[in-house]
Amino acid sequence: MGPLYKFGWFDFAYSLQLAGLIGFMFGFVLERAGFGNPRKLTAIFYLKDFAVLKVMFTAIVVCILGLLYFSVFGWIDLERVYLLPTFIWPQIAGGLVLGIGFVMGGYCPTTSVVATASGKLDGLIFIIGMIVGSVFFAEVYPLVERFYTSGDMGAIRLTDVFGINSGIITFLICLVAVGAYRLVEKIEQKFGDKDTLPKDSPKIKRAAAGLLILLGLILAIVNPDRTIATPAVSEVKPEKQVEAIQKPAATSETPDSTGFKIVDDEGC
Amino acid sequence: MKERYANPYLIGVILGLILLFSFYTMGRGLGSSASFARIATTGVNLVAPEHARANGYFSTYLQGGKSPLMAWLVFLTLGAALGGLFSAFISNRIKGEVARGPSIGVSIRLWLALGGGILSGFAARLARGCTSGQALTGAAQLAFGSWVYMLCIFVGAYATAYFFKKEWL
Repeated sequence: MGPLYKFGWFDFAYSLQLAGLIGFMFGFVLERAGFGNPRKLTAIFYLKDFAVLKVMFTAIVVCILGLLYFSVFGWIDLERVYLLPTFIWPQIAGGLVLGIGFVMGGYCPTTSVVATASGKLDGLIFIIGMIVGSVFFAEVYPLVERFYTSGDMGAIRLTDVFGINSGIITFLICLVAVGAYRLVEKIEQKFGDKDTLPKDSPKIKRAAAGLLILLGLILAIVNPDRTIATPAVSEVKPEKQVEAIQKPAATSETPDSTGFKIVDDEGC
Repeated sequence: MKERYANPYLIGVILGLILLFSFYTMGRGLGSSASFARIATTGVNLVAPEHARANGYFSTYLQGGKSPLMAWLVFLTLGAALGGLFSAFISNRIKGEVARGPSIGVSIRLWLALGGGILSGFAARLARGCTSGQALTGAAQLAFGSWVYMLCIFVGAYATAYFFKKEWL
């Protein structure tokens, strides 16, 4: 049962190697999508190319579905997945400022790394800017600390806010996604450059949209929260401990056998 | 020149699966902006260790006696750089340049990149994450704050896009 690391399947040293691998795939797909190019990224703000929204929204929907189906099948314990806490005021302010930084600088943090790797000097300058911004934040931290910790709502989900189960929320998000794709493609047709826009077969698109809604609908009927509510922690523990031995624990940064200690959880 | 990039929906599906893989193996999502805060901390710690330790924010990265760079997200960011390099290499997109629209000069573009970076670095710390660490990762877990954050990113960008029109179009 996942998350494997939290069940002590491997140690901290191995997790760093895994981070490198996951990062490699992450950077690779971002560059494939053209997200090392700030003109491609910012085109969304001039209604010309909504690749950013399509990639992000699709990734989110796929991952929501994946996590909830995994949970329903008993493959992952969502209680042990680190959930980012909500501090609503700094998040609203931070989002607005990051949006301005995005359209001004042409990148968001990860895409600037990809851009720099492909030789763009402005990407490197953006990274230097981010380091300066981080130093600045730390230096003024005593002044902003109160704001930084304001609006603390704890680790809450949309399900808590709206009071409906995650299956129904997911179904609604799937519907919104399909609607958003349709809408932005219409806008792209109007304002965008028709040569560079992807031309997908309408048949495949309709099938994919249908599949997405079907997967959401099944979740809405199944109600994954019911399965989350009965975690089978004690049952899974022994078998994981056996697995934990297979990896020689040369660096014992984390206690392997009890392995539930969260080493270093942080936002972004 | 018009570049041909991969289909965004396909990339979205693959990115969603990578994120799912990260959750399944590590119990956490993707991210990168904290890496830059860690680099910043390392730099300040080298120059003025007492100052770094006394600071309420730097000190959070200096706990445990390890280097602030021995962190999961730092390795993820290094991997992302390599992945981006590899992808750009196989499609001949590695090119030393300053990416910008046709009607803006190099030096203005670089100043704006610096300004945008500073704003982003600050904002990412304030909001506890960037587009990947907070928006993507949190939204996939249905975290309330992450959805609000993502919405605000778009609001902030659309609201000011007009002023940077010359930079990109």
